[in-house]
Formats: sequence, C-alpha cells, structure tokens
Amino acid sequence: MTARRTGVFVCHCGTNIAATVDVKRVAVEMGQEEGVVFSKDYVYMCSDPGQSSVIKAIQDNQLDGVVISCCTPTLHEKTFRDVSTEAGLNPFRCEIANIREQCAWVHSNRDEATEKALKITTSAIRRVQNNEALTPIGVPVTRRAMVIGGGIAGIQASLDLANAGLDVVLVEKQPTLGGHMLQLSETFPTLDCSQCILSPKMVEVSKNKKIKLLTDAEVTEVSGFVGNFKVKVKQKAQYVDPELCKLCDDCTHVCPVVVPNEYDQGLTGRRAIFIPYAQAIPASFNLDEKSCLGLNPVVCGKCADVCEAQAINYDVKPKTYEEDVGAIVVATGFDLYGLENMGEYGMGKYEDVLDGLAFERLCSASGATGGHVLRPSDHKEPKEVVFIQCAGSRDPENHCAYCSKICCMYTAKHAMLYKHHVPDGQAYIFYIDIRSGGKGYEEFVQRGMEKDGTVYLRGRVSKVFEKDGKIKVMGVDTLAGRTIEIDADMVVLALAMQPSKGTADVAKTLKIGRDKDGFLAEAHPKLRPVESVTAGIFLAGAAQGPKDIPETVCQASAAAAKVIQLLSKEQLEHSPAVANVRLSHCTGCEMCVDACPYEAISLTGGGKAYVNEVLCEGCGTCQATCLRAAIDVKNITQLQIFDMINASIGG
Amino acid sequence: MASTPTQTPKDPSVFEPRIVAFLCKWCSSAGSDLAGVSRMQYPSNAVPITVMCSGSVSPVYILSAFNKGADGVLVSGCHPGDCHYLKGNYFARRKIFLVQKLLSFIGIEKDRFRMSWVSAAEGAKFAQVVEEFVRDIRTLGPQRKLKAKR
Amino acid sequence: MVDIVNIRAHAKDLLEKGTVKMVLGYQRGTAGVLAEPAFITDAGQADHLVWDPTCVQNLALYLVNEKKAQSHQRDPDTRPIAIIAKGCDSRAVAVLLQERHFERKDVHVIGVSCGTLGVVDKNKLSKALNGRVATKVEPHGTDSFKVTTAEGFVDVAAADVLADRCLECACAYPAMHDVVFGEKHEDRGYPARFTALGQLEAKSEDERWAYWEGHFNRCLRCYACRSVCPMCYCPECVVDSIELMVDPTTSADEKANRIKWIERSAVASENSMYHLVRAIHLAGRCIDCAECERVCPVDIPIRMLNNKLEKEAKDMFGYEPGLDPELPSLVASFRDDDPNSFIR
Repeated sequence: MTARRTGVFVCHCGTNIAATVDVKRVAVEMGQEEGVVFSKDYVYMCSDPGQSSVIKAIQDNQLDGVVISCCTPTLHEKTFRDVSTEAGLNPFRCEIANIREQCAWVHSNRDEATEKALKITTSAIRRVQNNEALTPIGVPVTRRAMVIGGGIAGIQASLDLANAGLDVVLVEKQPTLGGHMLQLSETFPTLDCSQCILSPKMVEVSKNKKIKLLTDAEVTEVSGFVGNFKVKVKQKAQYVDPELCKLCDDCTHVCPVVVPNEYDQGLTGRRAIFIPYAQAIPASFNLDEKSCLGLNPVVCGKCADVCEAQAINYDVKPKTYEEDVGAIVVATGFDLYGLENMGEYGMGKYEDVLDGLAFERLCSASGATGGHVLRPSDHKEPKEVVFIQCAGSRDPENHCAYCSKICCMYTAKHAMLYKHHVPDGQAYIFYIDIRSGGKGYEEFVQRGMEKDGTVYLRGRVSKVFEKDGKIKVMGVDTLAGRTIEIDADMVVLALAMQPSKGTADVAKTLKIGRDKDGFLAEAHPKLRPVESVTAGIFLAGAAQGPKDIPETVCQASAAAAKVIQLLSKEQLEHSPAVANVRLSHCTGCEMCVDACPYEAISLTGGGKAYVNEVLCEGCGTCQATCLRAAIDVKNITQLQIFDMINASIGG
Repeated sequence: MASTPTQTPKDPSVFEPRIVAFLCKWCSSAGSDLAGVSRMQYPSNAVPITVMCSGSVSPVYILSAFNKGADGVLVSGCHPGDCHYLKGNYFARRKIFLVQKLLSFIGIEKDRFRMSWVSAAEGAKFAQVVEEFVRDIRTLGPQRKLKAKR
Repeated sequence: MVDIVNIRAHAKDLLEKGTVKMVLGYQRGTAGVLAEPAFITDAGQADHLVWDPTCVQNLALYLVNEKKAQSHQRDPDTRPIAIIAKGCDSRAVAVLLQERHFERKDVHVIGVSCGTLGVVDKNKLSKALNGRVATKVEPHGTDSFKVTTAEGFVDVAAADVLADRCLECACAYPAMHDVVFGEKHEDRGYPARFTALGQLEAKSEDERWAYWEGHFNRCLRCYACRSVCPMCYCPECVVDSIELMVDPTTSADEKANRIKWIERSAVASENSMYHLVRAIHLAGRCIDCAECERVCPVDIPIRMLNNKLEKEAKDMFGYEPGLDPELPSLVASFRDDDPNSFIR
C-alpha cells in the first residue's frame, strides 16, 4: 500500500541546519505536499523530547510513513527507525532526508540552501510513500573468528577471542608470530624487555587449543558477509615440519647460502634455512625457498642430509585452507617509511645512518652485536649519536603528512638506551616539538634529558653526509637561532610508520576502505574506531594508524570484544531490502545472474530469476542490468527513483 | 569555519543549472558527508539521490533525468576496486560509458553527463567535482534537447 | 553459390523425418519483389522455399514469436524449429541463445552464406532501375545482380543496390549453423564496417543534433522498429506506459503506480527518449540486421544508433554480439581494464 499519511520532521540541529536552511519554511511547505498529514520542525529531533514528539505524532496521526529531515542517515537512521518501531510503525517506513552534511553545511546562501533542502526532503517523502513494511531476514552465524596479522595486536585479539571460548584462525605472513614488537629491545616508558613480555603471549597462542595458527600464510580470497565469511588462506610450502624440528641448528651449519637477515634489519646475515628468533613461534627452523639453492637434492640437499629428525622435505607443496568464520580482525601492522625515500639523509646509502628498528636490533641482547651499540661500518663504539625525529613524517610536500605519533617517545628511549650502553657517549635529538602524551611519558622524556644528558635541539636537519669516517649533520637550532654542525659517529632516523606493505592487498581482498595515507579506515573516527566500514570486519593496531604498544593492545582487545559481541548472537539480522523479481516481466535472460556480485540470483526450472535473499546485499546491480524492469530492490525501486528524480529537479 | 549565511535574493536572470547527482551510499555519499563535516562550500545546484551502488544506476534513470529537465546528471561511485559490493562500479563504468557515447553521438553536449569516482575520504574532491560540473553547465546554458515540453 | 534445390531437399528431409516441426524460410512474395517469410510444416510445401537477394527479413523474430505462442499452448509441440539464417540472422539466434530464450537443441540452423553479395535494398533497387519494376533478383557473378523486369533483364552492380548493412557486413557467412549452404569469402571488397557511422561521427555536435532532431521529430511512434526486432521480445517494453500487463502476480501497487519513463505523445523529446532507450537496451545485443531501419515508415536511420554502440562495444570492450552464446552479455560483464579515463 502506498503510504498516504506521511509525517515530516525537520530538525534545526541547533543552528547547524537552521542557520543556513529556513527550517520553518521547509516544515510549512512540506506540510502541503501530497500525502503529508503532519509536519513540524524542532530544535533537536534526536534529543529525548524530539524523539518522543515523533512517537506521539505517529500515534496521534496514525502516520504510515515518516521522513526525518536532519543529518546524514549514517548517524541517525537507526535512531529514528527505532523510534518508529517504538511508535508501532514499521522501521522501513522511516526515511532520512540529509539536509545537514549534504546541504546546510556546504552552502551559505540561505535561499539556495532552503530550496535544495525542500527538494531533498520532497525526494525522501516520495520515496517513503512507496516503501514497503519489511522484516529483517534472520541468518545463522558461524561462531568462529579469523585474525589477520600475528603481531602484538593479532596475538592479543586472538587470545581474548580464544579465552572467550571462540575458535580462532590466526594468519601470519611471516614464519613466526611477534611482528615488529619482537624486534624491539626495551619498551618505553618502563624499559621492560620487549621479547620478555611478548614471548609468553606467543607461547600462550601456540598452546591454546582454540587457536589455529597459520604462519607463512596470506589471505587470498574472501566471500560471504558478516556472520558467514568464507576465507581462502594460502600457506607457503612448509619444507621444515615444525612438529619434527628439534631446533638443533645442525642445518644452518651446512647451509652454503648467506643472505641479509631481515629480522635484524639486514645488520647480520642468515642462512637459507634459519630461525628468525630464538623465541620464534612456531618453534621451528624455516627454509626460505627464495634464497635456497633450489630445493633440489641434486644441487645441494645438505640440510636434509644432516637433519636427524628428518624434518626437512623438499617436495612439500603450498597449501590452501578454506576457513568459515563469522568475523575477521585485521591487524596487519606497520612498516617503516623507507630510508631510501630520505634523499636529504643519504637515501640509505650510509651504513651508519640507521632507522629506528635497526637501532633496536643494535641495543637488543639477541641482536646483531649481542647487545652492544657498535657502528655497522667498523664495529667501533659511536661516541656521538644524532637522532632525527619526524624523519618522513609531518612533511606533506615531500613525505607523509601525518604525525607518526610514537617517534618522540621511542627516540627518547633510544637516546637513553644508548647512554646506558655507552656511558661516555653523547646523544643529540633534533625535534620539531615533543609529543609525550601518555601515562608516564613526559616524565620519561624529562628523565632522558636530566639523568642521561640527552641534548634536545629544536630544529630540522637539512643535510646528512659522510665525511672522513664521520657522519656530518647540518642542522639548525631554532631556539638558539644558530646553525649546527655535528660530526656524528652514527645517525638514527625516527622514520614515519606506514601501513605494512601487504595492507593495500588485504584491504582490497576484504573490501574494506583505506584512508588517504593508506591506513585502514575505521567506520567512524570517534564512535566506531575499531570497526571497518564492512560489517563483521574489525581493525586493530598500527594498520589503522600509528600507535604504540599499550594503545595497540587496547584496540586489539576492543576489536575482540566487538567480535565476541557479534558472535554471541544466535542469528544475525540481514537487511530485507533485497532484490525482488517481477515474474511477469522476467524472460530468464540470465543477465542479472551474470551481473550479481554475490551469486545470489539463479534461474529456476521455469526459466525465471530467483533471488536468494540471504546472499543478496541489495546493491541493485541487477536492477540496472535488467532490460525488462523485471527486478527491483525493495524500498529503492525504479518507481521510487523515478519519483525522486522528479522531486530533485523540482518538477 | 562556516561562513555567515547570506540572504541575497536570487536573480532570476541568472541561469541556475538543475543537476541530479546519483551518489553511491558507501563512497560518494559518504564523501559528500565528509565535505559537509569539513564545511567545504560548493554550489547548491546538484541535488543528491543516494543509491546503494553506482552499479544500480540504470541508463534509463539518466535519460529520464534529462527528460524531466535536468541540465546535468552526475553519477558518482567508489573507485575501481573499492566497491562496497565488490564490482558494482565496474558494471556502472561500462554502462555509463555507453550512455555517454550515445548522448554525445546524437548531439547532447558531452559535459552535461559526468561520472566521477569519489571515495568516502574525498570530501574535497566531491566539492570540486560539483563545483566544476556546475561551472561547466553554466557555460552550456539550459538543456532543452531532451527536456519534455510539458 | 547456394542452390535452392539443396535447401529444399534438406527442409523436406527434416520435415519428413519429423525432426523439426517447422521450417522457417522464405517464399515468393505477393506484394512486390521482396520474398516473404514462409512457415513450412508440410514436407510437400518445401518446394515453395526460395533463396535469393530479396530474402531480406531476419526470421529469428519468428522463433521469438513461436516461443511466445508456445507458452500459451496447453500441449505444445516441443520439437525444434529449423530456420534459414543468413550470417546476421544466425548471430541473432546466437544472442537469443545467450539470453536463454531457447536452448540450442530447440533450433536447427540452416545457414546460408551471402558469399560476396547480400540482400538488396528495395529503394536503391527502384532507383537503379529508373522506375522499372523488378520481378526477380538473382545473383550474377560475384559483384552484380541479374534483375528481371517486365521490359527484360538488367544487370545491376551489387554495390549500387545492396542494403547498407550488407555493404559493411563482417559476417556474411553464418558462423553458427547445423548445416550450411554456400561458401565463405574473406574479402568482399566493400567498405569497412562502420564506414557510414564514421561519416556521421565526424560531424560537429550541433550538426549531429540537427540531424537527429530532424529525424526524431518525424517519428510516428508506430513501434514498427520494435515489432520487427528479434531482440525486442520483452513481455512489456519499459517505454510503454499505456499497456498494462496484469497477471495474478501483479500487485495493486503495481497497477496503481505505473512508471511513465516516456510519454506516449509523439513529440521530439519523447521520441528521442524512445530511441535512446531502445539503443541502450540493444547495446551488445543488436546484430545489425537493420530490420528496424527497413521497416521504418519515415526513414529514420535507426541503424546508426545501434551501430554506434556496437562500435563502442567492439573498440572499447572487445565485445561483439552473437559470437558466443556462452559468454555473458555486454552489460552483464566487465573487464578490469575497461576505459576509466572518462571518469573524473
């Protein structure tokens, strides 16, 4: 039935709308529209009295459709649909006319904005008058989750989920869990050893029966929808069976291949068969097929020969897993902005100009130099070290526009650790300003200055170059107003964090958005910070934006809580605004079947299109493809669009 | 940031283009919301119709908008690869390409019908797309070729 | 060369064995020189079949009509139908198969190659004959026709009287067939495909609008183009707002809320809309049999509209209609590298 008792509610939003749109005029004119029996304006429609007045109006006037002319439907569509339900009106008989974001806020001429608001509201009225009353479709839920990324974020999320009783599939691209946190030496502001606090959690993951860990693995395909995703995971060939590997290290002694060790930021070398860290989980050696002489016993085969446990098999093939999960947490982490991008700091040409992670490896007891800070070039103890903050960040013209957030703190930590390793050395830090918000953070920076004598120089470094075995740093101290030249033994750049290299691909596979800097986009910057725009997919850690360890852990637990909340339901509600076939017009040409992105349409025996409503997402691609007007998405039908076009033109 | 509203009455002799903008819900409509939140100012001529996906915009909608008197029609969706519905925008791209070629072939000014990719993060781009579109259509004047004389 | 005797023998054989219920072909017409469609169900009538350059119609239309008729029959004869199909017609059958209008087993395609010729354009023929009336047209060699008139025989160059589409034809040999008569000729020596279209495209925007406005203004909205088109088989055309199809599934709302995408009045704006919607709906489906243009009583160059989209589809999307019934249709498919630069 076409709605003939429509109510219109025009919100002032304080002065947000009312300052540019003549809301009174909108309410009055809309009251005269065909089928509108009630119309009013109110200062805050979403407030408690505002909502109550909508309920009262629906009941008093037996309204069969309502239009709320207010802000974007992403904010309050749900609010007012709930209000409608409370008033006894089917929620799908409520539509939002967005006259704030798409009108009042973007125009300044009051007449013009009001004219546009009238058109937008009329359009919504025309639409709601042909809205069907619908009931959500119930869909069963797969009570199982996937976590992508095995750094601290992924580990925390997996443990929280598993401890809540859910089965978890944890997918990590590298051969071990741990991510970048496992590379760190000590962590600010308490200087506890990173590996000491992380490895117990890694072991916990490996011991937890609820967690299925897939390392060396990547997500290649995702289909389905919230509550029922189907994920394909491809795992590289596991030439060393982790179950059999005894960690005896015999294999590395015979392996003839040496390549830079990426886990040590290239400061050391490793063999083609290797273990990333002693703490690696799974606790097993790995064969890197890229650097191995060819996985061919005729060519080499030495490692397999010496392996007493017979854990090495060159004939293993990559595996593809198909996992059914109800929700996905994406925690793909960060990479550092490349040194090679920093033309002014030597583009990675100078051995003694390091990035922060390499410096971590120098400080780490498990690192390249066994915990002694030594110059990579000549293994001498550096006596003067310059740390440069904001390297590649806060520089929209040349590098990343954003503040990388954690660099102030980790640079303060680096200077402090350096002083602990080389007590007679001197650390200089070039900074723009110091951002030390966080519990104990400011005190930590102060301690570095006062106790460890770190010299902070406010200004940018214009150039870094090698001369006579020293790294010459040319900078400026803007506070003292003088140029500075330091003959440093080592320079450490606090490079910006950027989304890890695989993040773009993961985002594409999962169909979740990214922001302008490439970080994963949250559904709402304030109110939905751990949800992606796609229902059932959640975000955690530095893939969403630069953040430190405590914040990452917070977000990971929050994402886990969201998943637990989602999967605690017996069934999910699927939007009933799905495609509907007009059998009389369908010729069974199969064009909609080919065009449907969800394979939700098939042909029946009678040669007519049939929509599987659970699979249909209501995108309307079929609607636009059908030549015969035989398929329509409910509540945004061609008739409704026709009326909306009319209203939008003002005809 | 928002400037004080002006009250200048409309000059009837100035041509005000009437534009219908089909925006996909997930990217372009969200992008236009962002333009709003950022208080970016652009002309009010384009009236948005939010559809689920650019792939749902039937060529008939576009032709019909011209028939009803639109001076310009804009279709805006997610960038390739970013479609909320996986591939709706690819279908849209193909259909809309054909409509554009057909309209131009019969002598409808090419600039009256435009497609854009505007993501949810591109508020500024949305404002710019509308601004340029309105400017281009102003120079073309009213669309009378397909408009029904009713 | 196609010998009609062979076609007749094949048709007779099919009907005698009962493997098909009907042979769709051509017979001598009663009004003018053009052949007319023949619906042969009796083997004895197979000798009525003719094949010559006046067999202009695209008989695929009758396959569509037969299917519609069948849907109303209580106990339909489901044996296949044999159809005599030129290259273009066989592509029409392929499109219908692609759209699952019927299955391959439901149709027996008797392909006929147009060789180096094609079918005649009746108007061009009258002009070439200077007022004499043709009674018969036969192929003569590879590039001319022998035309019989009351005054005797005339030899006419094929290039002067061939239908426009045949001059640009790229599929004179029916690719899809169960049996085929005549041989394939690679180089036919006529203008390249889309030559006429290119001339129209080269005009300025204003000239193009003046051209089309002039034509659209004349449209009577008789819908002959739609009626003759084998692809216009929708139960109800989206441009129609008068005929209301009602069946038990039609809801009261549907009855009350008819979308009037286009008004019925034959005025320029509505006529333009009609032709634009029709062209868009034929994109990737039109196989350029040009029947629409042939039957137009006011000579609107409808073929050019369809040609335009056919060309764009071929150039930009590598799509050609009627080649492979198993491929998804033009607008129900895409490629990642479809043109993108036109988008802002």
